[in-house]
Amino acid sequence: MTTHFITAEIDLQESPKQLHQAIETELQKQGEPLRWAVTAVDTQEQKAQVEAIVTNNDAQPSTP
Amino acid sequence: MRPYTVVLIVPTGIGASIGGYAGDALPVARAIAQVCDRLITHPNVLNGAQLYWNLPNALYVEGYGLDKFAAGCWGLQPVHQNRVGLILDQGIEPDLRLRHLQAADATRATLGLNLTDYVITDAPLNVELRTAPSGASWGTIGNPDSLLRSAEVLIQQAKADAIAVVARFPDDLGSEALEAYRQGQGVDPLAGAEAVISHLIVRTFQIPCAHAPALMPLPLEPNLSPRSAAEELGYTFLPCVLVGLSRAPQFQVTRRQPGAIWAEDVDAVVIPASACGGSALLSLSQLRTQIIAVEDNQTSMQVPPEPLAIKAVRVHSYLEALGRLVIHRAGISADALSPSLSSMHNLSIY
Repeated sequence: MTTHFITAEIDLQESPKQLHQAIETELQKQGEPLRWAVTAVDTQEQKAQVEAIVTNNDAQPSTP
Repeated sequence: MRPYTVVLIVPTGIGASIGGYAGDALPVARAIAQVCDRLITHPNVLNGAQLYWNLPNALYVEGYGLDKFAAGCWGLQPVHQNRVGLILDQGIEPDLRLRHLQAADATRATLGLNLTDYVITDAPLNVELRTAPSGASWGTIGNPDSLLRSAEVLIQQAKADAIAVVARFPDDLGSEALEAYRQGQGVDPLAGAEAVISHLIVRTFQIPCAHAPALMPLPLEPNLSPRSAAEELGYTFLPCVLVGLSRAPQFQVTRRQPGAIWAEDVDAVVIPASACGGSALLSLSQLRTQIIAVEDNQTSMQVPPEPLAIKAVRVHSYLEALGRLVIHRAGISADALSPSLSSMHNLSIY
């Protein structure tokens, strides 16, 4: 397993629920989301900037 | 009567002016715990290195678990005690490792905590620290699988109910970020990487976890900020973690059992007004939860509630937030406490 920092730009949505879903959907394209947050909002462009940690090659722990 | 339940969030690693340092949101948690039946909050709020406070009505919930709880996926099952398993990074030097083992033994002898035997990871965890474009701290772990193998041994062989992790963090002598942190300014350079470690274990095993960094003691700093001082009392940050985990609620992942707390049981959330972009808050704002956004707890984020369509009550300070919680719990309209109260209007049905 490896941990990665990624950023994403998401269109603002009509409700927090829709925004939450849009963020998770976008992040899952790049790995399994571990931790994320909207860190800035551009109200003119109606965009949310998201920073996230995702993991890849998600394997069950096993004996070395 | 429905227990009045409050979630207090001070996001980790974003330089919160209250709560961004050495457990310095703990007084806020103590105050809120006095005006609610149940307080749900996270290690960043309650951990003061060797300082902690016993709040009988507080639930210590790690951030990944808090996100899942808020999303309605997991419930919180209060417990009387947990058997806490301790993971020590192989990268910790022998003397520093012994300091941590002695701290753990001290919590057994002096506080009566229930710890299992410990595990040393089968490889150094190799934590590296980073700063995101927003200014938030984060980090990478070179050997996350070693961390997870260690947790698996503690859970399956030692029957641990909760996991404390001590990872060797890079000593940061002389850096500008560390100097600012010791003066109560800037962003905690360690906090983001700590969250990655605990999130990995909670996501994989669905049990409580928290982290304490292992660092060499720093040279004496005459101008140390009181907000950072709790982390310079000794050789470890571990006691608060073990205390918190010893009564942390277990996660209900699959089915609803009596006594568990779920997201719809939350009456109010208190959050810094500039940091409303976290997963937990977005989830809770979809429910009938009052969101109280505190303006004077400033952070490195610029995410107010309004552009995210979060309906929040803005307050200037935590003192004002406490008043909001009291009247919310009592069912009193805030308008009734102001000098002017307008008459009702007749709504048209056409």
